[in-house]
Amino acid sequence: MNRPLLAAAGALLISTGAAAKEQPLPPFTLGYEPQTVDERGMWSEADEWEKSVKSSTLRVDDEGLNAYVREVLCKTVGTDRCDGVRVYVLNIPAFNATMSPNGMMMVWTGLLLRARSEAELGAVLGHEFAHFELRHSLKGFQARRSASDVLAWTQVLGNALQVDTRNSQFSLIGSLFRFNREQEKEADLLGLDYLAQSKYPSRSASEVWQHLMEEADATATGRKIKKRHRYRAGFFDTHPTELDRADYLLEQSMAKGDTGDAGAASYYAALSPWLPKLLEDQVRLNDFAGTEYLLNSIAATTGWTGELLQARAELFATRGNPRDLITATTLYLNAIDVGHSRPATMRGLGLSLVKSGKRSEGAEYLRKYLEAEPGAPDASLIRMYVPDERTAK
Amino acid sequence: MIVRGACAALLVLALTTPAGAHKLVEPGSPEKVADGAFRATSGTTWNRLQQSEGKYQEVWTIDGHKLNRLAFYGGVPAGKPLVKERDKKRDPLPKVTESMLLPDVPNLVERTYRTQYDIPIFNIGKQEPATLGGKEGIRFEYTYVDPGDEVERRGEAYAAIEGGKLYLVTFEAPSLHYFARDAAEVRSIVKSVTLRP
Ligand SMILES: [Zn+2]
Repeated sequence: MNRPLLAAAGALLISTGAAAKEQPLPPFTLGYEPQTVDERGMWSEADEWEKSVKSSTLRVDDEGLNAYVREVLCKTVGTDRCDGVRVYVLNIPAFNATMSPNGMMMVWTGLLLRARSEAELGAVLGHEFAHFELRHSLKGFQARRSASDVLAWTQVLGNALQVDTRNSQFSLIGSLFRFNREQEKEADLLGLDYLAQSKYPSRSASEVWQHLMEEADATATGRKIKKRHRYRAGFFDTHPTELDRADYLLEQSMAKGDTGDAGAASYYAALSPWLPKLLEDQVRLNDFAGTEYLLNSIAATTGWTGELLQARAELFATRGNPRDLITATTLYLNAIDVGHSRPATMRGLGLSLVKSGKRSEGAEYLRKYLEAEPGAPDASLIRMYVPDERTAK
Repeated sequence: MIVRGACAALLVLALTTPAGAHKLVEPGSPEKVADGAFRATSGTTWNRLQQSEGKYQEVWTIDGHKLNRLAFYGGVPAGKPLVKERDKKRDPLPKVTESMLLPDVPNLVERTYRTQYDIPIFNIGKQEPATLGGKEGIRFEYTYVDPGDEVERRGEAYAAIEGGKLYLVTFEAPSLHYFARDAAEVRSIVKSVTLRP
């Protein structure tokens, strides 16, 4: 099934949106076919691009994770709508999701780490889907490869840090497409309609932007640079400001007055097999304060689990100031106390102790690491810090 | 398919680099590297890139740095990053620390790459004791993907910590073809390395 949308050629069904409540969603055409020469060209380019995405080294080749993200999309926009969408999770630790005019949705792992509930993830996916449904990529002549929001989602950090994120390498794989401000707002509002009609609360859409601003502030504070959030977009801005979005999305959501379970617990339960890897990638970004903010925000829902304690320990251990080593050692021990005694915990704790001058205590934990993982890729190196192992060798 | 296309494009770039842009490293005689932090002897002719990222680094290549990149980082002291930060305030790099041990070196390289070059995928492989310039050190392997060309590159690195300073030599090339082609030459250069006394 390479091209489910094209395969459904001619099946132009009009869906009225399942059991529309007060505000029915706009009619949606299932199995939509590109209508004009421009559109057909764009689709076939997107199809070509999709082939390369499928075999891309950046793709997370995990069916479970891809299926879960798709499930959240379907729960948000409804199964009739999500039928023609293929979801690809890309291993990039930044906040972004994109959608191509042919129905290919790409979701970066950094978004998965930052969403705090199925509803927040659904809010972002719904926004992307709204661009697709409104065929924004066709309306903008700047379309070259795919409809994407790389600027939208990286703009927040860029604004706060006053960095031109468009120069980021990440934007290369993001897309070459830019929507305009009106289209962004349209997608925000239609995305909000999806959420309001779903079992998720529409208020979560505003929260996404609030949390991004908070993270950007934390990063800026940690780097001792100015925070910057504007209320209104400037003349040249292609997107509404994040503050503006947080504001009008909350206002609209209050007008809808819907409630629901955001699915925070179920989100982290589903994400748990992948969370350690997402945390590891984040910790290695060298954004101490931003990472602290993220860890605390996850812990607010899940409590300080072994995985979170371990990640925080690594954060301090890698910065490696003398005081950091005391904190790291404590956090590793706390992780062990809650039953998180992974080989990596033993390794991290052992090395932290060795670095703090407690060589023999450290060697004890490193020995446990080697016992647990005798074939570890660094086993012979770690043996250097375990005296009797070293001589025995 | 992506890989082949990208390599072809890179090859063109490499071949069109004006010869005068690089100083040559002639085989057979010890050369001062990274401002004299190292001496190293090659078995074949390399190009010394004129542009370096900061005062501790020197880069050699045969066909262009995207195809084979041998980088020397000489005597990086505590408190300094491996390379000059592209933006000190907004993209700060991890620093060499006083407490740093050999097992921390791969992680330092990974974190540096993630920030400086926006590398989203970086995997550290085998890590083992080795010597560099006669000093106790580490040898480690890694792979990473540059999102600019989505080519997977393989890396092999050697490091030692001497007098509170980090000495690091890394070699990187596309996993397909190029890495294997030059690995033996690189290992022989690494064997020849001496550190500034
Ligand atoms: Zn958008």
